[in-house]
Amino acid sequence: MNKKILASLLALPLIAPVAMAQDNAVKISGFGTAALTWSDDERAQFGRPNQASGAADNFRTGVDSNLGLQADYAVNSWLSLTAQGLVRHDGEDHYGAELSWAFAKFRISDELSVRVGRVGAPIFMISDYRNVGYANTMLRPPAEVYSQVPFNNVDGADVTWHRDFGNTSVTSQLAVGTIKTPLTGFHARGKNILALNVVAENGPFTLRAGHARVKVTIDDLASLNTLVGSLRAAGAGYRLPQVNALADEIQADGAKGTFNSLGLAMDWNNFVVQTEFAKRKTDTYINDTTSWYLMGGYRIGKFLPYYTRSELKIDGAVNASQLGACPAGYPAACSATLQQLGSAVNRVPFTGIGQGEQSTDTIGVRWDFARSVALKVQVDRVKPKGNGLFINAQPGFAGPVTVGAIALDFIF
Amino acid sequence: MKKPFIAALAASAFSLPALAEVAVVVSAKAAESSLTREQVAQFFLGKSTTMTPIDQADSAAVRAEFYKKVADKDAAQAKALWSKLVFTGKATMPKEVADNAAVKAAVAANPKAIGYIDKSAVDATVKVVYTAQ
Repeated sequence: MNKKILASLLALPLIAPVAMAQDNAVKISGFGTAALTWSDDERAQFGRPNQASGAADNFRTGVDSNLGLQADYAVNSWLSLTAQGLVRHDGEDHYGAELSWAFAKFRISDELSVRVGRVGAPIFMISDYRNVGYANTMLRPPAEVYSQVPFNNVDGADVTWHRDFGNTSVTSQLAVGTIKTPLTGFHARGKNILALNVVAENGPFTLRAGHARVKVTIDDLASLNTLVGSLRAAGAGYRLPQVNALADEIQADGAKGTFNSLGLAMDWNNFVVQTEFAKRKTDTYINDTTSWYLMGGYRIGKFLPYYTRSELKIDGAVNASQLGACPAGYPAACSATLQQLGSAVNRVPFTGIGQGEQSTDTIGVRWDFARSVALKVQVDRVKPKGNGLFINAQPGFAGPVTVGAIALDFIF
Repeated sequence: MKKPFIAALAASAFSLPALAEVAVVVSAKAAESSLTREQVAQFFLGKSTTMTPIDQADSAAVRAEFYKKVADKDAAQAKALWSKLVFTGKATMPKEVADNAAVKAAVAANPKAIGYIDKSAVDATVKVVYTAQ
């Protein structure tokens, strides 16, 4: 099935010239990255958020390579249709095709438009184009921030309002809907998603603020279900209400999550700056976190060398002290059970996708050596706490890890 | 022998990017009579959709000249900016036409269109709203 989608996606550019010959016909455009990624530690794998495997002491093409194709069709002056497909290495450990978006856009006025269908979830500053290497300075978005929300798009609608105030243009976007994201062996579902994104642009400066809230449900995550089940069994068996309360807190069944972020981008006199700061809060086992990155670069002709510092820190997480103790006179087995559950609970903040703490120092360079093609080389020094954001870590893994990558970004 | 040679030299001098003046043009019937550099840049960087930008060919010297002078971007930077807008479904890449004459034809046909041409190619079918020196 996936091969068929891939084949038809790849065939699309061949029919494009015919389609483009007419003025009001379907416009086909595309983007892609061909990359090699390598890490110096064999005990854990380096991948992008939502990949099932990654690079570990070997060269991998899967981490940073992708191919996207988009079709745009203007029905008339106020209605247009857009669909984008993306092929990349995904959470199910193979190259999979996904529908990034498919929407109808209604242009109500020069200032107001509404999109209905599957639209990008405007959660981060570069949410919508994080997979378009050519549109970005860095080789990949910093995982410390971009791992924090697994939802890339929303099935629903958004409304965009654009207004110029003098030389400052302000774009406000409000998206609502639901989404289901397949992750490694399980699913994350988001309901009642509400994402607000406000962007102010003035010459070389872009300032951005975002607020997103969601009711999150994690399905089919065996380790989580086992832990919640064990807590409930112990809570019921020993009549310890605080143990049941902790089970409720850990369980992710329509739990509230919020994500607030601020971003700033600048491209002024060859100085290029991009930074984001974000706070995540949830009513479930998923950590409350602070994450940020700061990138600075200086353009020298066709070359743009840059440095980035990124950090992910836990502000609050579930912990074993919430289990309390067994009352006096209880059988010794009670304390033993709580101790066992306690060590499992204490592993939660450092286990799973987007959990953990980590910091990264990155240096890289973008070289616009030919029309519509850029070459990037990037080296990351990643310092995880525990496993950090690394995947499939083996016992004894500690880091720090050096990750190197070379990528060719193109658009057509 | 000498005169054609000098003429050819002079002509080649005019086609050198550093010396060319770029005229930003709209339909003679358009409401706008003049625009600021920032306003022109907004249409060609996808920040305003009230006018429809018409681009020249990727390889045209006037295109590189226009983006450098009006938006302070080289061709690759402008393209990276547009790729953000295109692949987020916010806008489609400006229509590209072959040369000055094609820009004039496209602009003359659509009162909402805006294009740029070598100043020497300006004629009565279009109205100059900004000149980049």
